[in-house]
Amino acid sequence: MHRKAESQTNQSTANQGTTEQETAEARAHAEQAQGTHTDAELDFESLDLSIETVEERISPSETNVFDK
Amino acid sequence: MHSTRTAEFPVLLAFPPQGHWTQPHLAIPSLVAWLRSQGYTSVHQMDLSVEAFDHFLTPSYLERAKAKARARLPLERLQAAETLPLGEARAWRAAVEAEVSADALIARVEDAKRLVRGQDAASDDARGFWDPDRYLPAVRTLYHGLRLVSAAHYPSELTPHNFTMRYSNDRSHEVLAATRDEDENPFLAFYRERVLPRIVALRPRVLGLSVLYGSQLVPALTLGRLVKEALPECHVTAGGGYLAYVGKKVMQAAGIAACLDSIVFHEGEAPLLGLCDALRDAGSERGAAAGADLSLVGSLVWFDRRGGGARPTFNLPAHPIKLDAAPAPDLDGLPFDKYFSPRLVVPYDVNRGCYYGECTFCTLPTVIGPGYRTRSAQTIAHHVLELRDKYATTHFNFITDCMPPGLLEDLPRRLIADDAGITWWADARVEPKSYTPAGTKLLYDSGCRKLLFGFESASKRILKMMMKGQSLKSVIEVAENCAKADISVTFYAMVGFPTETREEARATLRFLEEHAGTVREVSLQTFHIDEVALTYREPERFGLKILDDPGADLALYHDYEAQSGMTQEEAAEMFEELMASFRQKLPLFAGDNVFYFMQKSHYFLHLVGTPERAPETPDSFEQRLRARMERKARRGVVGSLRVRPGLASVPLSFAYKGARDLIAHPLARAARPDFLTGRFVGDAEQLAETRLPHLPRASSVLVYDGDSAEFVELRPDGLAALRALERAGDLEALARTASPAGRERLEAFAAELHRVGILAGDEARHAHDTTLTPAPRRAVATTPRTASTQESHHAPQG
Repeated sequence: MHRKAESQTNQSTANQGTTEQETAEARAHAEQAQGTHTDAELDFESLDLSIETVEERISPSETNVFDK
Repeated sequence: MHSTRTAEFPVLLAFPPQGHWTQPHLAIPSLVAWLRSQGYTSVHQMDLSVEAFDHFLTPSYLERAKAKARARLPLERLQAAETLPLGEARAWRAAVEAEVSADALIARVEDAKRLVRGQDAASDDARGFWDPDRYLPAVRTLYHGLRLVSAAHYPSELTPHNFTMRYSNDRSHEVLAATRDEDENPFLAFYRERVLPRIVALRPRVLGLSVLYGSQLVPALTLGRLVKEALPECHVTAGGGYLAYVGKKVMQAAGIAACLDSIVFHEGEAPLLGLCDALRDAGSERGAAAGADLSLVGSLVWFDRRGGGARPTFNLPAHPIKLDAAPAPDLDGLPFDKYFSPRLVVPYDVNRGCYYGECTFCTLPTVIGPGYRTRSAQTIAHHVLELRDKYATTHFNFITDCMPPGLLEDLPRRLIADDAGITWWADARVEPKSYTPAGTKLLYDSGCRKLLFGFESASKRILKMMMKGQSLKSVIEVAENCAKADISVTFYAMVGFPTETREEARATLRFLEEHAGTVREVSLQTFHIDEVALTYREPERFGLKILDDPGADLALYHDYEAQSGMTQEEAAEMFEELMASFRQKLPLFAGDNVFYFMQKSHYFLHLVGTPERAPETPDSFEQRLRARMERKARRGVVGSLRVRPGLASVPLSFAYKGARDLIAHPLARAARPDFLTGRFVGDAEQLAETRLPHLPRASSVLVYDGDSAEFVELRPDGLAALRALERAGDLEALARTASPAGRERLEAFAAELHRVGILAGDEARHAHDTTLTPAPRRAVATTPRTASTQESHHAPQG
């Protein structure tokens, strides 16, 4: 699986905090955002595994088979 | 006489982007046939719309689009925002979609084109076009490819159905600016690279541009400008439905003379011939363009450049031609292999104008000019046989405002008697005496497979105001007779007619829902007012106050205030309500099946069959689609589920679905100049920005699978689970590492992704596997884990 735009990390999580602890938390959060956990760290029971699929909206400009 | 007309007088007629991409449009082939029949032997035609789609949807162009989109929409900047207002949400969505999907689209676009065109296999049995599981991802790939093209020219948007820019078609200075916008007008480079060299080599004396739709205005004027700069001796004219409405305003706008020399009004045959004759007779090449006297050419508005300057000059109307004596359209020279369809469907005009002509909302018949004319059944059959043999196709789209009763009797008999062996579809008006059981059987036997009726509303009051002259009883009687004859029925319907209430619109919806087994498709529109309509000319009759925008010098449509009934905004919301119901009730509208409806002739081709494939009936095709949806819904957990190779992901700072919902809100839609929505509110962008909430930050992930051509949004946890699955190899291997409760959640997650198509499984094994835990259909997480995911739920629902 390719991971795209990894240099464009979620700024709100990757850059927050200045203390060591805060930095570690930020790193963990960023790691989570990029899905780079190791398997041993994954507790599927507590993960947020929700999925959003988005049904295509049909615009009025796409419904007129006579015109378009 | 004819021999003097021509060889040294090349004429080029072109169809500019954007029109539908599945079949040729009729206008240019009709005019080509007419000019050739009148002795012009050097007449050429180009379908630049389908050529542009073909050019844009290539790996090399998409590579360029990817780089351009990255430069134009810097993801890092957009992701760093605290919140996204509407405009930024649009840009962000375009950027993340481009980022995550570009490589997959580049890799697959050629295969997708080949499949949709039926060029992927030697025999029909092996062609993916006929298999919904292969066809629909291919179509989605093409749509997503155009989104990448659009992102590269943001905020311009090109789809198979429309082309819009940040500029308004209502204002000439914006239209002219659009023709020069190197960054946002994708057709400038397309023309320079792919079209202009061919036109310069051809050196036409006349270039005619067909502008049927508002989406073609900027592309047509862009080409006109380039050609006038490159070939000053070439007379650039334009005509077509959209210009029949606004052409006179266009010709009076400052600066248009740099793009055009004239506009032809209404039916084009006689004016175009007169124009060519006048220019040819005017003598020298430069003189013809710069100083010819065109005052005797009927139905022409032209720039009189004699004596310097460019003075718009309005000529008298031309006489309409005798339609029955006009030749069949001539499609020679069109790029048949580039249309996005495996079979050529030939457009043919059986008549012009509308024999009924009373509907108070409709102005379509006016674009061809006054009067109603029809060809005889004998002529039509003769032409059909000629076209069938010449182009080796048996599929026809009869172009008509509606088939008249006499022809409904004569034409089928003639086609059967002549053993035409064709199939066809057409627009129609509810005529109970014609669409009897015997009448519809005859129509089917003559090859009719689909008819589209102007139903509009189930409210007797509204129908009366519309002057539709049809009862609900007759509407459904006609539709049922067609359905029993295996002719697919499409209804045109409208919401927001002046004074219509929500209750009346919902009554229309209920009527359509009740007859979902008879009506297969609904072409739904919101009501809008153009300047030719009775509702514009006599607004008080409909309780309307027309709103004028003094800055809109090219205005065609007008906003209005209604004394009663739904507002325009409420009508836009009602459109969503009706469409949501159709997605539930009509198999052709469910999920991604709706692409069949949107691809014009593709559903029709399934009803027709091929020498190798038996035709479907409307019922059997719907059953096939329904079975596909059920099969997808049943996809569940199998141990062999694995991540497809090449699945791409991009971390998000905002919720993708939230952005999609925000952009799809009726207020947001009104903010873009979408020329068929019926909403053209001047301050709509500002209003939408003010009233719609900004998108809050949320930690999320967008993944794109090139094989299924699906965008799916996950939480970061979901991406971590996918990565773990990828490392483990398959679901069973990963599930072994989980606790029993964790395994259950993982399997539910995997099952949902399997249904969506993101995970691949062994379908044959699945068919026999009943031992694994059945999974729920919807999203598996019940408790949002992080604050950021909760935030994403605050996005507005469109």
